Amino acid sequence: MRRSNSELDRLRQGRSELENHYIDELVAGNVSRRDFLRRGSTIGMSMPLLGAILAACGSGSSSSKSAAGGSSNSSGGTPTKGGTLRVAGVTPAAAVNPLTVADAGGLLMLNQTGEFLIFDSNLKLALQPMLALSWSPNNDGSVWTFKLRQGVKFHNGAAMTADDVVYTFQQLSDPKNASNALSTFTGVLTPSGVKKVDQYTVEFHLEAPNGNFPYLVSSDNYNAIIVPKGTDFAKWQKTFVGTGAFKYGSYTQNVGASFVPNPDYWGTKPLLSGTSFKFYSAQGPMILGLQGNEVDVVSQFVPAGASALLNSSSYKIIKLNSANHRELSMRNDQPPFNDPRVRQALAYSLDRAGMVSALLSGDGHVANDYPFGPRFPSTDTSVAQRAQDIAKAKQLLQAAGHTSVSATLATEIYQEIPQLAQVIKADAAKAGFNINLKIEQQSAYYGKATFGNSDWLDSTLSLVDYGDRGVPNVFLEAPLTSSGPWNAAHFKNKTYDGLVKQYVAATDLQTQKSIAGKIEQLLLNETPLIIPYWIDGLTASTPNVGGLNPTAIAQLYLNTAYKSA
Amino acid sequence: MLRFILKRLGLALITLWILSVIVFFAGQVLPGDPARAILGPLAAPQAVHALRHQLGLDQSLLSQYWNWISSFVKGDPGTSYQYQAPIGPILTAALGRSLKLAALAFVIVVPLSIFAGIVAALNVGRPVDRTISVVGLSGTTVPEFVSGIILIVVFAVGLGWLPVSALAPPGSSFLTQIKYLILPAIPLVLVLFGYIMRMARAGTVEALESDYARTATLKGLPRGVMIRRHVLRNSLLPTITVIATQTGYLIGGLVVVEVLFRYPGLGQLVAQAATNKDFPMLEAGVLTIGIVYMLVTLIADIGFSLLNPRIRLSAVE
Repeated sequence: MRRSNSELDRLRQGRSELENHYIDELVAGNVSRRDFLRRGSTIGMSMPLLGAILAACGSGSSSSKSAAGGSSNSSGGTPTKGGTLRVAGVTPAAAVNPLTVADAGGLLMLNQTGEFLIFDSNLKLALQPMLALSWSPNNDGSVWTFKLRQGVKFHNGAAMTADDVVYTFQQLSDPKNASNALSTFTGVLTPSGVKKVDQYTVEFHLEAPNGNFPYLVSSDNYNAIIVPKGTDFAKWQKTFVGTGAFKYGSYTQNVGASFVPNPDYWGTKPLLSGTSFKFYSAQGPMILGLQGNEVDVVSQFVPAGASALLNSSSYKIIKLNSANHRELSMRNDQPPFNDPRVRQALAYSLDRAGMVSALLSGDGHVANDYPFGPRFPSTDTSVAQRAQDIAKAKQLLQAAGHTSVSATLATEIYQEIPQLAQVIKADAAKAGFNINLKIEQQSAYYGKATFGNSDWLDSTLSLVDYGDRGVPNVFLEAPLTSSGPWNAAHFKNKTYDGLVKQYVAATDLQTQKSIAGKIEQLLLNETPLIIPYWIDGLTASTPNVGGLNPTAIAQLYLNTAYKSA
Repeated sequence: MLRFILKRLGLALITLWILSVIVFFAGQVLPGDPARAILGPLAAPQAVHALRHQLGLDQSLLSQYWNWISSFVKGDPGTSYQYQAPIGPILTAALGRSLKLAALAFVIVVPLSIFAGIVAALNVGRPVDRTISVVGLSGTTVPEFVSGIILIVVFAVGLGWLPVSALAPPGSSFLTQIKYLILPAIPLVLVLFGYIMRMARAGTVEALESDYARTATLKGLPRGVMIRRHVLRNSLLPTITVIATQTGYLIGGLVVVEVLFRYPGLGQLVAQAATNKDFPMLEAGVLTIGIVYMLVTLIADIGFSLLNPRIRLSAVE
């Protein structure tokens, strides 16, 4: 890399040890420009600063500008003011309560009026300041300090301060509350760890060092919209009070919602004069709605059953790199899958590339049986990708003392998963596996979601879905560590547990990457579970719509959206 | 007549109560948990525990049922678990939509199918009869999601004559609402047409072959008068019963059509409540469908007696 040393030295001044470490890594060529942006933003370096450093390192300023710029996808005619954007969304499955929301329809509603401390942009693959202006860890990543944006007003007129942020996170992390965010915060944050420093500074004292903590208070954690202190979450759906660019217009259960621009918004005021959401309970009618001009945007869809959109040039499709994936777990504690060779044999029998093209219409990437993928900068990409090898699979089975293996695979009726189960059955049969399918409604499949009461967690083979996350922490912990609550594979490996602990605590990318490499290798050797592919996030609109800013967890930000005539 | 109606209403109340018990206790056998349905399968156990406590699900089944029924009989259907909102307004809105769609389907299908049935019966064995029968039966065999999608693709997306979805914007005029409901009503008409038409045809054929019809013809009554006065009155009796039994389906069983045409009616609401084990909502929805069903059968029975003076309601007692 060409260096502009004097400029770089100037920029280095006053930067923390960790920040200078990243600059060193960039200069040494150990991290790519994109990874530098990604990691730099995680530890709280501002976008203009990151851009300036990249420019000083001779890494094209134009591209850094695009990363630092606002949030939007390009094209779609010229931005026009006014108009109501009609969006098709999934019917919220339950009350729109920031504490309890757990479904795509509900979180899409939260993000219409609510904002987070940080925005995790799938389009830029980087963290961007939202209600927090900056954030930084202490030396070991166990205390994170957030500086809040000043001059932000809630839709009820009150000013947003540290008190509101403290209240929000204390409620979300309180084990006495029915908080969906507890699955993120358990073992990470307790209510007493959230501390107000001054009117615009909040500290998070964590239970254990966590190098990726900013992701846990970002838009990734869709429950974590900042609400006014004292908010009764159960009644939130009557007012939708947040700080966002749009505020509450109307909300009718099972029918739809509308939002109007917030004249007091701290950022750029929206171009649209309003938004109108129509709720659908299936994807097919949503696509028909777009085709029949009842909506302008389909907020999120999956490739299965969407060929009408994907094969047509009349619609704009936004494709996002996502960590959305499927996991096929094998009972590591019971014969025949207690033998790693049997597990590897099943992994080698699968035609992953074929699955991506047939089940996802190509809108995805093959995966390698560990939860590191293209979405995460810490992924060690030097580990070789597994491909279908029937001869090897047969050989492995034979070495394990089997000519054929029979097992039951339990799974859920959700998106393309039943078809995936069929493909797995057919592929595996070629290597000598005789798989019976047990395809169930989601409620029956998950059961009580505790060991001994759930087909998901108890079956010999179990195929389940995992949604997008900004960091792989949850994927590494819950389904794979010895004490993981979603460990359907019943995989218990002390070396692995230790590596994950190190990975989670690591604040710098090089360390994360080197631990990731070890984890990847260990998981390939052990193959406790199979991850066939990563699924892209898809959003569709008519050609006259632009400025949409979707995320892979089905949020859709409309601050910069417009609809040209 | 009054005694008959009162007796029927009394029986209806007992039936509804038994229905509520069955729904509540049979529903317990369904897999899943209301708290987990709200918080998602991956929620932390302590969050599920907290929500179960908030919803009162940690009480015994008997006290849960008692809490529900004691406020229900006082006119308060309670709060939905999943929507965290009073059931009354949600249910009324859904029922209103379902009734509108059902009414439109009825208004189209009842006269049409009875007329077609009579025409077929008067032409038994002729090409007209064959055509009506084959068309009617074919319509019945086409599932709603198939006919619905074809209708949407052709008339809404392709030709753009009618809206894709069934829900008219709030405050729409009567005519606009009908315009939105035509497409979703057609699959229902197709499903019901064959059935009602067959009943009307069979009843008419039977009546035409009866002794009283022959007598009427022999005494020289013009054919039109004979059919109006003697045949139809008798032939339509079984048809009325069939129409009445279809109301349950039309009010609460249209899940597929409601999903396809984005029409949040009672069918979807009840199906969703069953999936999420939202008992207060499920109970209220099922009982509403039960009440509508019983009212319609009662009206049918009264209509039956008016058409057929031989069946006096007192005799039914």
